[in-house]
Amino acid sequence: MGHARLERQLSAYIDNELTADDTQQVRAHLETCVGCREELQRLEHVKRLLGSLPERAPVPQVFEELRQQIISQAPRESGSVLEAISNAFRRPALAFAAAAIVVLLIAFPLVKGRIDRLRAAEVGPDVFVREHALSAVADPFADRAYVGLLVTDANLALIGEPRSRGGSLR
Amino acid sequence: MRVSSTALALVWCAAILAAAMPVWGQRTSKPGLLAGANAASVIQSVLSAPTLVDYEGTKIVTAVRGEQAETVTILESYKRFGKLRLEFLSPESTSGRLIVDDGASSWHYEPSLHVVIRGPSFVTTSTRTDAEAILKRYDARVLGSEQVIGRQTLVLELLPKTRRLTRRLWVDQATGVVLRTEERSQSGELLFSSFFSRISYSLNLPSALFRFHLPAGAKIFTFYLSGDPIQDLQELSRQAKFAVKAPGTLGGVYTFQSGTIARHGALMAVSLLYSDGVNIVSLYETPSSKMAFPALGTSLVMRSGRGRWLDLGYFRVVIWESGGISFAILGTLPAESLVAMAEELNAVKP
Repeated sequence: MGHARLERQLSAYIDNELTADDTQQVRAHLETCVGCREELQRLEHVKRLLGSLPERAPVPQVFEELRQQIISQAPRESGSVLEAISNAFRRPALAFAAAAIVVLLIAFPLVKGRIDRLRAAEVGPDVFVREHALSAVADPFADRAYVGLLVTDANLALIGEPRSRGGSLR
Repeated sequence: MRVSSTALALVWCAAILAAAMPVWGQRTSKPGLLAGANAASVIQSVLSAPTLVDYEGTKIVTAVRGEQAETVTILESYKRFGKLRLEFLSPESTSGRLIVDDGASSWHYEPSLHVVIRGPSFVTTSTRTDAEAILKRYDARVLGSEQVIGRQTLVLELLPKTRRLTRRLWVDQATGVVLRTEERSQSGELLFSSFFSRISYSLNLPSALFRFHLPAGAKIFTFYLSGDPIQDLQELSRQAKFAVKAPGTLGGVYTFQSGTIARHGALMAVSLLYSDGVNIVSLYETPSSKMAFPALGTSLVMRSGRGRWLDLGYFRVVIWESGGISFAILGTLPAESLVAMAEELNAVKP
């Protein structure tokens, strides 16, 4: 830690507001720096003087004046929010970003709906075949081995890895 | 002596023919000879087999898709009650795929992607369906007996009242396990076939075979069915937020069972289940505003407008739009039957 920074921390040092490490560093610095020791003595003197002053209660009208100021600032604050928004739209980059967000919010459901519709057409037949095959085992004469093949082929299609089916010309 | 040797030869021929007659008669017995109670007992043995016997075997399945046929070889192991393990051997695109189903959940491991997909069990040992219920909806008859991989089987034909789809099952006489299956369209075209090229029965396959061990580092996905079954159509429409079209019957014999709201990611569809007592047809409805028209399969001209046709081999799918709703109907039925159901549905007011 440099001299300038340690000098700024002397006030906090007097008030015991530093961490243990920082306190240790300030103490080590004070042992070698005459300027900081003099500054520390000045600060301790000021603190003693301030501590000896009597406490005085504020005059009652102080609170009333504060309340009036708070009330008078409230509408000005909301006005300033609207003003800030208005200012933001005067900046082209911000205006463009806001417009892009609005367009995205409107377009996203439409695009998603279209993608979902195409995706449903893609997986639909495989889902139908799989569910039908699983229902078809209620037929006591159904060939389970072949039903198994159809179910597992549909499984692969549904995970996006359809089997390349062979087959010879009759 | 000359006459007597001729007579002896005739006697020998007659004896051989007489001995062969029962075997010939048994193998080519005409439809209906073993019908009625026999068909019921064969069906009952098929329904009971999952609770009686464990087995492991190699199954070869061929499904026809338009002008193409795909053959899949699977190592199938089954353990009472409702535990299944399927290891796919070929073709290359499925090789190494593993499904372990413990009767409550199923695990699908895809080695090429190192992913595991967990979902509901697709094995049912439910005895809700009995032979009598099936015989009410289907004409069933035992066509005769045949040897399949060295085992004696009874050939059972199941013909729905609508005659849309014919099933033939080669049922192991000793165990009730179906060793061979064929499904044909009304015109006799083969749609699906499966048969065991090898099978061995066991009193008790080890439980460890039906326990899934997660491969280290595998990515896991979980896909369970969404929603509980709803019978009340008004409630279904309320939850779906659109007027659901659900006639009481489809195609004359498929009756409405229940509906659910199916969801997967961006997709929401109403799923309606129809059954003829055995066979299942599923109908899916979703507002066109929520699902674009799928661009897969082949184009289909329907009275109501555009449609798409998709043949997955065992399952066939018809997708079409009508009145702002996208519909999809799925089943093992031939194309013309599903299209007829779609046109029938378009005529129904919501």
